[in-house]
Amino acid sequence: MATKSPLKVASQTASSAVSTARDWTHETMIAGRPVIWYVTGWRFAIITLIVGVLLPLVPYSAYPDIQSLLVALTSVFIYVMLALGLNVVVGYAGLLDLGYVAFYVIGAYTMASGTFGSLLNFNEKPFSIPTFPFALLLLAGALIAGIFGILLGAPTLRLRGDYLAIVTLGFGEIVPIVFQHIPTFYGSLGMTSTPPPPVNTPFGLLSFTDPLNNAPFYYMALLFAVLVAIGSFALRNSSIGRAWVAIREDETAAESSGVNLVRTKLLAYALGAFVGGVAGVMQAAFVPSVNPVNFQFQISITILAMVVLGGLGSIAGVILGAMILQFLYVYVLQRINDPIHASFLVASNGAPLHFLSNVDFSSLNYLIFGILLVIMILLRPQGLIPDARRKRELKGEGAAQEGVSAIGLLEQEEAGIGIGAAADSLDETEYSGAGSDAQGREG
Amino acid sequence: MAQAQGAQAPDPAQDQTPSLLQVRGLVQRFGGLAAVDGVDLDIRKGQIFSVIGPNGAGKTTVFNVITGIYKPTEGDVIFDGTSIAGMKPDKLVRRGITRTFQNIRLFNNMTVLENVLVGQHIELPTDVISALFRLPNYRRAERKAEQRAIELLGFFGPGMVARKDEYAVNLSYAERRRVEIARALGSKPQMMLLDEPTAGMNDAETSEAVTYIQRLRKEFNLTILLIEHKLQVTMGISDRIAVLDYGKKIAEGVPAEIQRNERVIEAYLGRKAAVE
Repeated sequence: MATKSPLKVASQTASSAVSTARDWTHETMIAGRPVIWYVTGWRFAIITLIVGVLLPLVPYSAYPDIQSLLVALTSVFIYVMLALGLNVVVGYAGLLDLGYVAFYVIGAYTMASGTFGSLLNFNEKPFSIPTFPFALLLLAGALIAGIFGILLGAPTLRLRGDYLAIVTLGFGEIVPIVFQHIPTFYGSLGMTSTPPPPVNTPFGLLSFTDPLNNAPFYYMALLFAVLVAIGSFALRNSSIGRAWVAIREDETAAESSGVNLVRTKLLAYALGAFVGGVAGVMQAAFVPSVNPVNFQFQISITILAMVVLGGLGSIAGVILGAMILQFLYVYVLQRINDPIHASFLVASNGAPLHFLSNVDFSSLNYLIFGILLVIMILLRPQGLIPDARRKRELKGEGAAQEGVSAIGLLEQEEAGIGIGAAADSLDETEYSGAGSDAQGREG
Repeated sequence: MAQAQGAQAPDPAQDQTPSLLQVRGLVQRFGGLAAVDGVDLDIRKGQIFSVIGPNGAGKTTVFNVITGIYKPTEGDVIFDGTSIAGMKPDKLVRRGITRTFQNIRLFNNMTVLENVLVGQHIELPTDVISALFRLPNYRRAERKAEQRAIELLGFFGPGMVARKDEYAVNLSYAERRRVEIARALGSKPQMMLLDEPTAGMNDAETSEAVTYIQRLRKEFNLTILLIEHKLQVTMGISDRIAVLDYGKKIAEGVPAEIQRNERVIEAYLGRKAAVE
């Protein structure tokens, strides 16, 4: 027993050393600095923000597709919010949540219900309800989603890993199905919502519905995404954020350091859900309609993929992951059909890639996400911009230290189950009621 | 040599120092097996109290009951006059009981400083509003906590302070142990429970650990409950020792008494050794 600990340390190091080589983010130089220097911390934030703010000023003559680009990016920002919200739960607190779409739905339906003017009673007869201002609905959507976050969190507090994933998955399935099948919200017909009214500003009347000028909504989504990012950052570097990470790293040690597990976990669920609610309200105002079929399981998985792709727990990484995947889907994939079908490799009968001429690339998003994820997990399991290693690497220290990787998360859970069943648990720390849950990684 | 030190120390069990922690008739069953079977302990304020015994004697189980990991099947644990049996670990921390783990449980992907700051969790505001908006009182508390964390690391010398931004996973074994103790000190405890603090250490590291356990008591006014395998450690620093075997307390006394006790020798070295 006395010699166990050094072994454990060694095995942990070995298991996490999936890829320690310095990679393209260090080797590719731009203006004398490695790429990672630009995509880390404040520099990343400021560069992204400047580009984001200036983009709508690009004139039509310079880039005719600019309005569609703004529309696409509005959707990207909404997904950045979602990914940052989920990152609080999965990245910080380490609670695998496969049903995050539920909070997005709740936010979206709050927006729709608050502007549609009527709902249906149980005899499927409409009754009118007042309409509410956008700001109020934004808050209401966030709060209602936050409450549902706690409702989901409370019964799952003792669960971890696979079990938690299954329960949250169920929750994510139930909520859209409820909206689809109870008459109140017009079931599978869905509802339309009213976008926010025009705002009077020093720059003139800004409309949120003008198809020729999508900048107002773009800026609003950008603003909210930035606020969520700042909030994420503030929380990460607070006592709450440290408590979340402590729970993720070692629940028992966290509790023995004075962290109240119930409160801290519920807070993560509530805040994650809160952000999901905000994103839902924005989405419903943006589209502007809601329908249960638009809020399926794939959305939960897509958001989780964004978080994993970028780097669990890393704000810059998660933003980048969300931007890449969503931009790929709503912009790039929608536009590559014609160029690919017209290219000489595909176009003519007998061309080597002619079989691609009937493929609709815009519908291949999940295939492409899947391939990207597999590549990531194999080559860079810690994500594009991992959380823990970035400070050290910027200091130029050689020894690469793994951040929290997706594989690590899974390994940890598997270890938990294995140890729970082990017979020598008598002399080990383990919760009596929680069975296998308590032992994260000790052996 | 070691026992001489122990014998010289005044025996607080004889004086009127009040009890800080009492374990009364503790029974802990797992299924049909009683890992702990009727153990009584009485730890006075300011004592270094050791629980020793061979592997599987139930030491860690006693420890886990005291620290709230298990709810006792029977019996009670009284801390500072109130029953704490079955209380959650974080509540115990708020009452002034802190602990370290036999297999050192640091938060590996956090820095040394962050690890020690987590130890101060109960001292810091944890409401979302102050954290989100970095209100002045919150910033002040964070700054103070950081200073204190550095002071706590300073307890182990400037070398540990210099390592404050290192990730915990990169520390040496002895350093990890120090950080764990610094983290445990963060909650301003009255009592610290050390679970085999010298496990896996070589002789030099062990004797360093012995020194700082004694300093912990002196400089932080701590009462210390120690579980230890190495007799060289327990005999040297304990005021009082309880010996467990097969879940029962087979002896208790000052180190010199324990060393002469035949049942202890038998439990540790086997019957044959005792006869010889």
